[in-house]
Amino acid sequence: MGLTERIERNVDLSYFEGRIPVNYLYTYGLGFEKFFRALKEEGKLLASKCPRCGTTYFPCRVFCEQCFCEIEGTLGVSGEGTLYSYSVCHLNMDGSPKKTPEVVGLIEMDGTDGAKFVHLIDAQPEEIQIGMRLKPVLKPKKERNGDIFDIKGFKKA
Amino acid sequence: MGQKVAIVGAGITKFVRRAQETGKELAWQAAKMALDSCELTLDDIESVSCGTAPDAFDGVHEKGEYLSDGCGGWRKPYMRQFVGGGTGVFAPIHGWLHVASGMFDTCLVVCAEKMSSCHPHPQGAFKTIFDHTTEQPLDPTLVWIFAMEYNRYMTTYGIDKRDIALVSVKNKKNAMDHPAAQLPMEITVDDVLNSEVLAWPVNRLDISPTSDGAAAIVLAGEHAAKRITDKPVWIEGVGWNLDSAYWASRDLAYPRYVEKAARMAYDMAGIREPKKEIEIAEPYDPFTYKELHHMEGLLLADRGEAPQLLVDGVTQRDGARPMCPSGGALGVGNPIAATGLMKTIEIFLQLRGEAGKRQVPGSPRCGLAQAWGDLMQVGTVVVLKR
Repeated sequence: MGLTERIERNVDLSYFEGRIPVNYLYTYGLGFEKFFRALKEEGKLLASKCPRCGTTYFPCRVFCEQCFCEIEGTLGVSGEGTLYSYSVCHLNMDGSPKKTPEVVGLIEMDGTDGAKFVHLIDAQPEEIQIGMRLKPVLKPKKERNGDIFDIKGFKKA
Repeated sequence: MGQKVAIVGAGITKFVRRAQETGKELAWQAAKMALDSCELTLDDIESVSCGTAPDAFDGVHEKGEYLSDGCGGWRKPYMRQFVGGGTGVFAPIHGWLHVASGMFDTCLVVCAEKMSSCHPHPQGAFKTIFDHTTEQPLDPTLVWIFAMEYNRYMTTYGIDKRDIALVSVKNKKNAMDHPAAQLPMEITVDDVLNSEVLAWPVNRLDISPTSDGAAAIVLAGEHAAKRITDKPVWIEGVGWNLDSAYWASRDLAYPRYVEKAARMAYDMAGIREPKKEIEIAEPYDPFTYKELHHMEGLLLADRGEAPQLLVDGVTQRDGARPMCPSGGALGVGNPIAATGLMKTIEIFLQLRGEAGKRQVPGSPRCGLAQAWGDLMQVGTVVVLKR
């Protein structure tokens, strides 16, 4: 059994298949637009720091959720960090096994006060441990689209 | 109830077809403006209420949680409420419950909507509110309901469509003085009647736009309110009511559920003659005829008589009983949950004498905001007094 139910056959007058006819155009927003433009065009990673309470955010945001202050500037960070937690995923959504287990992790970003970021970790399950040092792997500039996979993932630093 | 509740501050973003901001950024802008308007900070806020319409608009499941940072909900008692289009006026009611109960002295109430995410149009999401077995296969749009209600209302009372079109002319003109307005314009009745027919009798200019936008208010209990401002506007009455879940079986000529919500609010506010005592109102006007239909449900006009009041100029900004002096959903725009709160804010500003170019004459003391929604069967009403 996977994470989604597999409907094998239709049963008369018990159910029918439906569809919600909607697509979405998501807005990057003022904060994330800065982040993804810098990532795509310059290969830079931007955090932001609240000028009032000093809380840092990664990726950069335009307001501080803790004190509601506007955050105008950005703060370049190296993208390196420390593994805060991780999991090793073995099954796909439909219950089929993954060809190779996939590691996802939360990375505590250097240059921030503990801002964490979720992404894929390019490491063998045997070698991974909480606290290990990681660095981001970016796509080459011509392949970058301004999306989250402009960072392919993180690997051992 | 534990204590009286006042509105002490308000903020509103511009309503636009597609904002560069995310929903949470819009929420933050409005919430920050509301706090700044009464010189408070997030530290002064004890509870937070978020109003936002279907998750499907933004394409974000659990939108209340998603919007929480923009609403100022970080590590505070935070709750999202939602009754479809009625959400924006349920928002002050929900905040009122927080404070009137005596549990909190302050509540920041924020409504935000990002309808532009839904592509090509939110009608795809609206479709799913119809019954999936008996109605969705017919490929309904929301306009079906409105068109049939419009027709039934018009036919029952022998109303001329030209008179109903005047609502659009009035509200879009009123919106020319509203800094947040999306569709301010000077048009004529013929412009309305000659605009594209969506589903007869609903023309393009009978209908409010889809919008992105946010609005926010700060509520405070009696003692806190008097500390914060010299001009508190009190929430004197609240009411809400729901009709049958089967829209097709409802009385379309008269919104009984709006009357029940209004009577609940009037009883609480001690209002016995609403036509005399409600000096100014913001009935929900996502469609032209709805302003008139709702005026009747709110007992501000006799059944079938609201159009004549409009024709006679009574509901103009300088008339005896101004309706939608803001410009309403038709003129200011309709980012669902934010619209009802925009209407509440308009009454707040009018009662304080702070509505600028939109200020109605006569220094009104008592006003009302109303919204309508769910599957077009919820009525939400607040009565405000200074």
